[in-house]
Amino acid sequence: MSILAYNGGAVVAMKGKDCVAIATDKRFGIQAQTVSTNFPKVYQMSPTLYVGLPGLATDTQTVFQRLKFRMNLYELKENRTMTPKTFSAMLSNLLYERRFGPYFVEPVIAGLDPITEKPYVCNMDLIGCPNEPEDFVVSGTCSEQLYGMCEALWEPNLGPDDLFETISQALVNAADRDAISGWGAVVYIIEKDKITEKHVKTRMD
Amino acid sequence: MATVLAPEIPAPGFSFENCQRNAFLAQKGFPAPRATKTGTTIVGIIYADGVILGADTRATEGPVVSDKNCEKIHYLAANMYCCGAGTAADTEMTTQSVASQLELQRLHLGRAIPVATASTILQRTLFRYQGHIGAALVLGGVDRTGPHIYCIYPHGSVDKLPYATMGSGSLAAMAVFEAGWKANMSEEEGKKLVRDAIAAGIFNDLGSGSNVDICVIPTTGPAKYLRTYEEANVKGKKQGNYRYPIGTTAVLRQRVIPLEVESVTVTPTQPMEVEPSSSRR
Amino acid sequence: MAASVVNAYSDPSTSWMNAPHSTGTSIMACEFDGGVVIGADSRTTTGVYIANRVTDKLTRITEHIYCCRSGSAADTQAIADIVTYHLNFHKMELGEAPLVESAAAIFRELCYNYRDSLMAGILVAGWDKHKGGQIYSVPIGGMVQRQQVSIGGSGSSYVYGYVDANFKPKMSKAEAMKFVTNTLTLAMLRDGSSGGVVRLGVITEAGVERSVILGDQLPKFYED
Repeated sequence: MSILAYNGGAVVAMKGKDCVAIATDKRFGIQAQTVSTNFPKVYQMSPTLYVGLPGLATDTQTVFQRLKFRMNLYELKENRTMTPKTFSAMLSNLLYERRFGPYFVEPVIAGLDPITEKPYVCNMDLIGCPNEPEDFVVSGTCSEQLYGMCEALWEPNLGPDDLFETISQALVNAADRDAISGWGAVVYIIEKDKITEKHVKTRMD
Repeated sequence: MATVLAPEIPAPGFSFENCQRNAFLAQKGFPAPRATKTGTTIVGIIYADGVILGADTRATEGPVVSDKNCEKIHYLAANMYCCGAGTAADTEMTTQSVASQLELQRLHLGRAIPVATASTILQRTLFRYQGHIGAALVLGGVDRTGPHIYCIYPHGSVDKLPYATMGSGSLAAMAVFEAGWKANMSEEEGKKLVRDAIAAGIFNDLGSGSNVDICVIPTTGPAKYLRTYEEANVKGKKQGNYRYPIGTTAVLRQRVIPLEVESVTVTPTQPMEVEPSSSRR
Repeated sequence: MAASVVNAYSDPSTSWMNAPHSTGTSIMACEFDGGVVIGADSRTTTGVYIANRVTDKLTRITEHIYCCRSGSAADTQAIADIVTYHLNFHKMELGEAPLVESAAAIFRELCYNYRDSLMAGILVAGWDKHKGGQIYSVPIGGMVQRQQVSIGGSGSSYVYGYVDANFKPKMSKAEAMKFVTNTLTLAMLRDGSSGGVVRLGVITEAGVERSVILGDQLPKFYED
């Protein structure tokens, strides 16, 4: 079994019209045993920048702490917020530094550029190869199901409300076909003037 | 002194901190997962007035297509580009590092850097890591000695050739080159041949797919990066949609965090006035 | 059937992509009256795929010293690079052209010290004013041995008898070139990982004279 599937979990992010959304499940397990149903894998890094770190939970937390540390230093030195593009370059370098002994996380980044307000999504493999598509990114133990859901549901220029329905249904239905993801989900809709955090009802089995 | 709160600045280069833990996990039956590979078709040719590089745009993670439109032709310098196959992160990071070394050297010497320099840097980097950095590259560029194509393998061997192919689709692409390559082709002929070679990879190799990217680097004038030169595979138009009506998803609770939109105004600073009278005094 | 297709597809980087790039080779060097003739085929393989059919395995070290490379392409290229560096440095300190023996000694030093991680069988050939044309064989493991005629690479096993039967000391340049061409042609015919064209180099006091014999101009032998 892959170590990436030791704790389970899934994250997906999508671009919309002047908005982005990122969603995560809330399960934390040790293989088949569910330990907690309040373990979201998405973190807020700056007002309009979120990162999801599904994978091995210990590395999820370590990578998040290291990212926060580097980001605080950047903000103190530069006196400005980091753009999503810079953030993904930073994360990519952090992961590639451990090319020969990686952290077992496959990150997803979603955010709005603080200056241009352009939507940005990105995902990476565990050694930091960035992928910046025009539509959506997925990661986690049900990434294959998520790819299928997103290919079918996603369309360009979705508004924040439609984007919420699309990403929620994509995640909920993908996680229903994965035994180690689900048990609740959180969706963040990021717009230039507000963040909407919605806890979605899912099956709890 | 280093403390927990003020850790020492780590040494540059790769960190092997997690290796012991990961080896332990592997021994417990959790082998390290696979990184993104670019099962790829990449090519390069010399034509009458320079070089042409080509690549497909598919990235794979096992049998899953992880990127349908990735960029495999990497910038090295104004007169040099490099196609990458193999482990995606390795090709990306290696070319980025070489690009920065070349730029520093250009600034230091104040002239365009020859293609052979890039080839040697790549060769030595890859040889040092004994094939563990899985980058298979086709390097193409022009300098004052003319156009050059180099084929660089993960173990650090280099071939200098008039036409080269790499990646899992290299056999299909090489078949096209062996049949169609001539010395002193025109730019149009060259682009056609490169397109055909990449298309052969896209359609006959499962690891390659999506679009054709081309980069023309003439000895005269700047490089032309033709991103999505041809969309070899167009997705069928969706006739309907599966859109869920707003309100479908059951929401347990929600929270709205308003963001203060900071308006940024830039006031250019006035250049200081220098009074001519004061300097005369 | 379907399963095998899926398996091949799950990892598109098949053996010939991961296999180290090596020169399954036929190489040769032969002393003659006034210098040495060196020769090699031009095939580079990764597994069963011919990665390069016009390879140049005769690599310049100095003006009068060349080497014929066999084994891993990456290893032999790296070694040749390092030896070239050392000899350039040596030449500056010495103020004259380095001896072929010196080149062979550096090759041996590297091949011996790194014998566990290198795959390299090298023939060092050249001309110097002390001993004229010389050939030193540095096989895998890193020993060195001077020879009047030497063959190397996977193709060489097929032609030891031919070399033993036909080599004569003090041949003329033309005789030696013919002898090397014939030997390499025979090796290329029998060895699957050798082939392409025959590349030759004649090293004398005057320097190096390179030539190529294309596939259709190779000598003909008995073929059924």
